[in-house]
Amino acid sequence: MRLNDLLKKLVNKQDSREVAKKRLKFALVYDKLEVSDTMLDNLQSELMEVISRYFEIDQNAMNLDIQRSDDYSALVLNTPILSARHQNHAQAAQGHAG
Amino acid sequence: MEGKVIVMTSGKGGVGKTTVTASVGAALALQGKRVAIVDMDIGLRNLDVVMGLENRIVFNVVDLIQGRCKLKQAAIKDRRIDNLFLIPASQSDDKDVIKPENMVWLTNKLRKEYDFTLLDCPAGIEHGFKNSIAAADEAIVICTPDVSAVRDADRVIGLLYARSITPKLVVNRISPKMVENGDMLSHDDIVDVLSIDLVGLVEMDDQVVVSSNTGVPLVTNRESKAGMAFQRIAMRLNGQPDLPIENPMVQRGFWRTIGKKLGRRNKDAK
Repeated sequence: MRLNDLLKKLVNKQDSREVAKKRLKFALVYDKLEVSDTMLDNLQSELMEVISRYFEIDQNAMNLDIQRSDDYSALVLNTPILSARHQNHAQAAQGHAG
Repeated sequence: MEGKVIVMTSGKGGVGKTTVTASVGAALALQGKRVAIVDMDIGLRNLDVVMGLENRIVFNVVDLIQGRCKLKQAAIKDRRIDNLFLIPASQSDDKDVIKPENMVWLTNKLRKEYDFTLLDCPAGIEHGFKNSIAAADEAIVICTPDVSAVRDADRVIGLLYARSITPKLVVNRISPKMVENGDMLSHDDIVDVLSIDLVGLVEMDDQVVVSSNTGVPLVTNRESKAGMAFQRIAMRLNGQPDLPIENPMVQRGFWRTIGKKLGRRNKDAK
């Protein structure tokens, strides 16, 4: 066993235990970032509703996506604004209060 | 005082959930507590054979829930260990005959009769799992030192947190030799990945197979290391939460053992 360890060090082979731990950590992080399409769709329609209270937007051109890189995940929302809704905003706020 | 309902779960199948449940239940009964073990795997019952009670089944948990029998009729008394009872699963029913609200009713009944009720949850996170956690006060998650078992344990732990249950972990089937050689995840690795408290470490032990072959409770075998580990898990559940967790070690020759004993104290406690 001692000789085995020495040999492992010589050929610089990583313990399978270390490999297992690293793979597990990655798998768990990715599992937690998994988002279902329905959840994304729901989020998009709710965001659209909120944004539409303040801006007139092209609803078909709106785009919501999750971008992943090695270090972080980002939620990216892209939408063209047609105009701001100054009056309607006030109405909507009143509607909320009532 | 009302008893506790503890769900034994793992996500992944085949990690020794049934063995752990039967053994911890038997150990608690040996320590003088009244214990009911409920097999929640409707359609695929197993606990009865593992506990050696398979030819004494008359009624099952579905009969009990559907009012076809009384609790006293469904709970099979173990004749070798006082105060140990099994409520077997039904083998013929469909698994969705039980609903979470049925489990709330059942466990309310069991809390009055027994100090500990252990629910042996089926593998998976579907129906049987949801039923089992619906009425539990506490949870024990069981995993083996395999990546797949640890990953599933993580998922199950997340689902338990969502129900405001903080589970504790049993790592089963540890091979100390493989851990020492760097070929198996150690319990420290697993605790690090899952960020959860341990309630026991159980070594790989051939006696587990022997015990399930014969239906003789593992914890009555003083030679079995796994059996002794289950005894200690039961003690931790039964009013001694701070009992130190022993780290399974490679058996060495006489002089090495002496050396280990001398230098052990600080290594052992965790």
